[in-house]
Order: sequence, then structure tokens, then C-alpha cells
Amino acid sequence: MRLPEPLRVPAHAVGTVSVAAQIALQNALNGLLIGGTYATVALGFSLVWGILNIVNLAHGALVMLGAYATFWLFTLYGVDPLLSLPLTGAALFVFGYALQRGIVNQVIRAPFLITFLLTFGLELLITNIAQAVWTADIRSVTTSYSGWSLSLGPLTLPVVRGASLLIAFVVAVLLHALLTRTRLGTAIRATASDQEAARLMGIPIARVYAVTFGIAAASAGIAGGLISLSFPIFPAMGAGYTLIAFVVCVLGGLGSVPGALLGGLVLGLLQTYAASWLGPNYDNIVAFSVLILVLLVRPAGLLGRAQRFRG
Amino acid sequence: MTPDRLRLRAGARAIALGAVAAAALLLPSLAGTYYIRLATGIYMFGLLAAAWNLIGGYTGYPDFGGAAFLGIGAYATGIMMVRAHTPFPVALTSGCLLAAGVAVLMGSLLLRLRGHYFAIATLGFMLVLQQLAANLEITGGGSGMNLPVARTFTTFYYWMLGALALAIAAGWVLPGLRVGYALAAIRENQDAAQVLGIAPLPYKIIAYAGNAFLFAAAGGIYAYWFTFIDPPTVFNVDFTIQAIVMTLFGGPGTAAGPLVGAVILKSLDTVLTSRSVFLHNVFFGALVCVLVIFAPRGIAEIARAPGGLLQAIRAELRESRL
Repeated sequence: MRLPEPLRVPAHAVGTVSVAAQIALQNALNGLLIGGTYATVALGFSLVWGILNIVNLAHGALVMLGAYATFWLFTLYGVDPLLSLPLTGAALFVFGYALQRGIVNQVIRAPFLITFLLTFGLELLITNIAQAVWTADIRSVTTSYSGWSLSLGPLTLPVVRGASLLIAFVVAVLLHALLTRTRLGTAIRATASDQEAARLMGIPIARVYAVTFGIAAASAGIAGGLISLSFPIFPAMGAGYTLIAFVVCVLGGLGSVPGALLGGLVLGLLQTYAASWLGPNYDNIVAFSVLILVLLVRPAGLLGRAQRFRG
Repeated sequence: MTPDRLRLRAGARAIALGAVAAAALLLPSLAGTYYIRLATGIYMFGLLAAAWNLIGGYTGYPDFGGAAFLGIGAYATGIMMVRAHTPFPVALTSGCLLAAGVAVLMGSLLLRLRGHYFAIATLGFMLVLQQLAANLEITGGGSGMNLPVARTFTTFYYWMLGALALAIAAGWVLPGLRVGYALAAIRENQDAAQVLGIAPLPYKIIAYAGNAFLFAAAGGIYAYWFTFIDPPTVFNVDFTIQAIVMTLFGGPGTAAGPLVGAVILKSLDTVLTSRSVFLHNVFFGALVCVLVIFAPRGIAEIARAPGGLLQAIRAELRESRL
């Protein structure tokens, strides 16, 4: 059967022209999807760094705990990963609050090397205990809808990835609202901008710090839950995410939710395009090059304010 | 102290030093293979710690990417020995010089950063080299590379001992040199040092290159010793972290501190490993946490403090908690 002329010719033209365009578009979509995950991972990291002035190297370990919480709730009790997210977040909040109150707070005023090493030590401890308890096996969460995907014209959108991006945005918006619209958020921001003044205004600094750490841990837990839906999970998975969170913060600037979102999406896009040009084994090289370039050329991040860290 | 007693102390110190050196040199003919291996391992970590001390202790720039240079030294030595059949001493020296050269280049970029940014940037640099080594052909990619097997492993004992002596000597003479004074000024207050007419970057690069040279020496000897290297084993952040912890434990910015830290912690680690792998795995994590909370300036500082151990720990806690 012959197709009608007007339909066949454009179809052919679009077909040849759009292979490259289609790949570029699919890459853009993939980049945004992975970027949403990066942003969720970076939110809490950015918050702790911006407000407590601590680079929390155990952040990735908290992401890992969130992923395992989701995994076990799903595997043992059949709780749907998307439904268990609030539960995971709450559990991680308590853990983060206790971690800050009990341990991190002991060195909160010490020079940065000390806090840096402490969080590194915590990362080692959490990761190694997880490895002893859960073994180093690589696991994944496979739900009934894990394989589903939507076709958006020529593009393919895996359902779980789309849902993850949506949830990432919801978490970001909620966190932003919490920071800008509530008394707690005002107290957190006041503490970040001037600790002494905030103390004089009657803000309980230690509690604000612990709550901030708890919120950061909760968002890390949710990020871990989302990650467990699309990526393999294992005890040592956290370190890579910590590094990514750092790069995102450098890109987007510290302590701001829009900054983390923008930084995450930019890094996701960059890595996806770089992977399609160079091959998949250059992700760290790309992330690091971006990091160095931004630090040297635009040190306050893409949106950030000026701050002092060069010498 | 009277001059007489001072001279006596200096004499006693020289005798003690001579005794330690003689014991170290004679150990292979006295002890069994197990202990020679163990001592070689301890020397290696003493070397790493003493190397890190140059940039982290004396200069106050906590490098988290030391393993980058260890990897460069290991791979340069390996590649030269396997592909060009270069004798080990030549290959090792080339590897060390290459690492120092890379440190000068990277240092001129990275040493402009401060604090967290420097720490993470150096860590990132190490991960980049790890990925590069896994992607390149000359390194054997992800499957690693085999080195020729040496006739006797006592050789490695002496190589490691020599490199360690070099590292400790560097830490010993540094504070008396012009560079040493400049680095101390930079560590205490970089802006003030600048006002006094010290251009920080060249001095920091010297310390960084020295640290790189020594890390590469450890890497080259390690590669020939273990005869097999692959990207995750040599570009491994654990080397850097252990060097940092040992230095902090023994006392940063002192010549002997890193070695003391390495001897104590590596021995402890060996005992723990023989009991359970789990203990070995959590040992360094737990140690780091306890150390930075209770004795961030090293055990020597705590031991010397007036009022004893407990009081010093309490004062430390009061100072840094909220």
C-alpha cells in the first residue's frame, strides 16, 4: 500500500534529521532526570555546609542508609518504595538529629580539618558497619512498575525516574518553604548569617543546628529511597554521592535550595552529554574538571554570593 | 638546664638515634620473614605520614589526594620496568620526579584554594587519576598491571627504610630553613605572612611537591613489592586518610610524630586484623572519631598538658563544643 505523499516525505525527512536531534533530546531528558537525583542528594549537604559550616562527608552514608531502609521495607514488608519515603525521611531525621547532638556538636567550633575528619570517620564507620550487617552484595529494588516507561513523542521516560524527579521537586519546594516561610526557617537562616546575633535574639543555636542536621539527613534518606528505585545499592555507594553533592554545591552556591536544584540539573546535563560523547567511564573526570573550572573562574557558584575561600 | 646537661642530653639522643638506626639496619638478619614484612609495612605508613606532614602539618593545607601521587609513583615505576625494562632504582626515581612535577603543575592551581575547597579538590584530583588509569591502555586499564618479581623481598625493607629516613630528615631540617619559617607563617596566618612579604604560593608548592615526591616513592616501592597494581588499590583514599590520622595521632608539624603515630597505630591495626576483619574495618573510622573529639592535637600534646590527661581532654571538649 502506498502512503499518501504528504505524509511519507516529511516522515522520511524527520527520520533522518532527527536521529541526532532525538539523541540530543533524549540526553537532555536523561540529564534532567539524573540531575533531579543529584539535586535531592545535594539539598541536605548544602544546608549543613551553609548553616553549620560543616562539609559532611558522611552525607553519602546517610543516602545509603535511606536506600537500605527503602530496600528492607520493600523486601521484608512489601511496603511500596514511594510510600515508605516519609517513613525513611522520619527515621533519618531522628538519626541525623542524634548524630549532631551526640557527636558532631562536640567539635562544632573546631578548625575545619577536625570536623572534616570527624565526618569522614563517621562515613567509614557507618559504611563498614553496614557492610558487616548487610554484606557488600549489590542489591536493587524492583517493583511491579519498575519496567514501565512513557513515550513522549520520540522520547522515552521511565516512570520511576519521572516520579523521582517529581518527588525531588516536591521535596525542594517543601524545604524552600520551610526555610523561607516558617519561624523555624527564619531561626535557621538567622543562625547561618550571624550566630552571635541569633543567640542574643534567644535562638537556641545547638537545637537549631541539630534540627538542621536532622532535616539534611531526612532529605538524604529520601534521596537514597529514590536512588534505590533506579540504581544499584551497596554499602560503599555513598562516597560517590558525597562528591557529587560537593560539586553541585560549588556549582549552585551554598545553603540555597534553588542553587542546589540548578547545580544538580546542570551537573546532570553535563555528565549525560559528556557520557554520550566520551563514553560512560569519564563521569568523575567531567565532574572534577567542572569543579576546578568553577572554583577558579566563578568561585561563588552560578547563583551564589561572594565568599572567602581562596588564598 | 646547664650547658653540661644539655650536652649530655644531646649525647644521649645521638646514642639513642644510633641504636635505633642500627636496630633498623640489622633487623632483616635477626627477625623472621613475617616481622620483616610487618616492619616494611609500618615504614611505608610512616613514610606516608611524614610526607603528608610536610603539606598538612607544617603548611596547614590538608591534602586529601596524596594517593594521587602514590598512584603516579606506582604506575610510573611499573610502566618503566615492564615496558622499557628500566632498572628499579631509575624507574623509582623517575616516578618520584614525575609526581613532583605533576604536583608543581596541579599545586599552582589547587593551592590557591583554601580549607574545604582545597581538601575536596585534591580528593577529586585523585579520583580523576584513578579513572584515567582505568581508561588508559598503557596502564593496563581496569585489569591492572603485573611487575617483575624481585629475587628477595629484604630489598624492599631497605628501600622503604631509606625513603622513610629521607622523609623524616626532610621534616627534621625543614623548620630551620627559610622555607620552613615561611611555611609556618603561612600556616599560622596566611594574610599576615603576605603582609610580611612572603609570597605564599611558591612555598606551598615546594611543600606540596615534597609531599608528592615521597608519596610517589612509597607507591613505586609498593608496586615492585606487591608486583601487582590496579587503579583502586593504588589510587586509594585510605592511604591518605591513614597518613592523616597517624600524623594527627603522633603530632602534626613535628619530625618524629608521624612515625610514632604510624608505629603505634599500624601495630594496633595488625593485632586487631588478626582477631577479626570487622574490627580492622571499623578501627580507623572509630579511631578518627575518637581522636578528633578527644585529642585533636595529638596524644603528645595531651600527655604534656598540665593537670594530666583527663583535664586536657575536658578542656579540649569545652573549647570546641557548642
